[in-house]
Amino acid sequence: MRSKHERWRRKPVANPIRRSDGLALSEQVAPEPAAPAASGAVVVADGLTKRFGSVLAVDSLSFALAPGTITGFLGPNGAGKTTTLRMLLGLASPSSGSASVFGRPYSELAQPALRIGTVLEATDFHPGRTGRDHLRMLSRSAGLPDARVDEVLRLVELEGSAGRRVKGYSLGMRQRLGLAAALLGDPELLILDEPANGLDPEGVRWLRDFLRAFATGGRTVLVSSHVLAEVAQTVDQVLIINRGKLVVESSLEQLTARVGGSVRVRTPELARLQEALQRSQIDFTTLNEQGGLVHGVSSERIGDLAFAAGVPIHELVAEGSSLEDVFLELTAEPQP
Amino acid sequence: MIAQVRAELLKIRSTRTTIGIVVGMIALILLFSLLSGLLTKAPSLTSTEDQRGLLGVGSLAGVFSALAGIMLVTSEYRFGTIRPTFLFTPKRSRVVAAKLAAGLLAGILFGVVGEGLGFAIGYAAIAGRGLPYALNGGQTALLLFGTIGGIALWGALGVGIGMVVRNQVGAIIGLLAWGFIAENLLFAFVPSVGRFAPAHASDALMGLTTDHLLPAAAGGATLVAWTLAFALAAVGLAARRDVT
Repeated sequence: MRSKHERWRRKPVANPIRRSDGLALSEQVAPEPAAPAASGAVVVADGLTKRFGSVLAVDSLSFALAPGTITGFLGPNGAGKTTTLRMLLGLASPSSGSASVFGRPYSELAQPALRIGTVLEATDFHPGRTGRDHLRMLSRSAGLPDARVDEVLRLVELEGSAGRRVKGYSLGMRQRLGLAAALLGDPELLILDEPANGLDPEGVRWLRDFLRAFATGGRTVLVSSHVLAEVAQTVDQVLIINRGKLVVESSLEQLTARVGGSVRVRTPELARLQEALQRSQIDFTTLNEQGGLVHGVSSERIGDLAFAAGVPIHELVAEGSSLEDVFLELTAEPQP
Repeated sequence: MIAQVRAELLKIRSTRTTIGIVVGMIALILLFSLLSGLLTKAPSLTSTEDQRGLLGVGSLAGVFSALAGIMLVTSEYRFGTIRPTFLFTPKRSRVVAAKLAAGLLAGILFGVVGEGLGFAIGYAAIAGRGLPYALNGGQTALLLFGTIGGIALWGALGVGIGMVVRNQVGAIIGLLAWGFIAENLLFAFVPSVGRFAPAHASDALMGLTTDHLLPAAAGGATLVAWTLAFALAAVGLAARRDVT
């Protein structure tokens, strides 16, 4: 018998957001363009710097996020990701530089919860308060109806536990409650700090599907992580920071190409695989009649392509450095 | 702003901490009212001031009202809910103002319950023991409204203290150490200064006429001034300090 918990995770996330008027925002064929048209960027950091005493936690960080993208904000623990997010969100003030969301500093937005949903830490709950009351107090402060609380609870499938005090929640449930709070205002932008922390593999997959569905229709996601693999299959582009400095800003494709490694592949239907790779303009070197080397793309991408083309794959091995290697290399401590 | 106040009132109502504070308040007032109402010898319960002391035992609710105010702020910092709170309402002065209002409103409720209970028991003790009721209408009204008003102000003062200190244990210990020890010492040794301290200003506001206390109106004004001072400090500090 399947547990309730299991049922939640296996359910596909087709329309993550439903408004009280029954309008599903992510399933329209032609979505409205996202609001910030003029400058284009949804989130802008301009020379963002934060100094704690003699420690430079964030060092002149500049980047911009285009609407409709999912950006992975990556770096090892202590790289300055959380500090950066706090400055973006007006919780901490920068030592110098500036940050804006939808063209203005976060703290100057009149009703930020209606445009930006945020999950900073999965522990930001009063343990003695019920999940529903946690959401209610936030929805009230944003002037939202209590009915919206039940909607987001259904969305993250916590309705059954909403009357229980948060101290009895598992970490996965807390993550979902945090996400529910972020979704209360039906935002256009989601900012998540390490949302996959403490989730089991299926929870991570649920989150991935959720973010994908969310980003369709011009909505934007910024998701931080210290593990590239966690977000590699979700994000369009990555910002990698190390010791407070931006080290890479690129699309995932470019980063993968930069890896330079190749993937050895073996298949009984080599001709069809080559065809599929050619269609996607991917370089291929034939080694023998059973396989060869694919260059510049991840093994995930090759697997997906082969699957889509119906080509059976008998072996798929990354050779040379992987994405993770590059990530570690980029974020390594300098050798003394 | 009304939305924020509603949210803050829900925060107060939705944890068991508040129930604990209310139960503690009722228990303590019951204990003190019954003990002093029943055990005090009749000659020490005849003067206006003696009866005021008994009928005003409910002013103990001020401690609990201040605790509720402190909890409303410090538990947000302790459990991190201050982050979503400020993310939903980034104008921090608005959050602090809503908390002050909620602390004041909760304080009124604490006052009505606490002083209502204390006055009822005290009055029953006086009447039950066949002693004449010594307060006139004006004095009774001042005692009731002054006590309840003081308790309400302590609710807002608690919010201010909580926002300045932020650390829950520190704020609570600070409140109790000041209210029960430091301020009494100050009043005992330097009454000309001690009478301007907040707990003695609330005593004055109740109409108590102990030596050196301020007149009721001045006591009320002093307590309001303390509340405003802490409120302003709270607004200023909340705006300046980073939330980690």
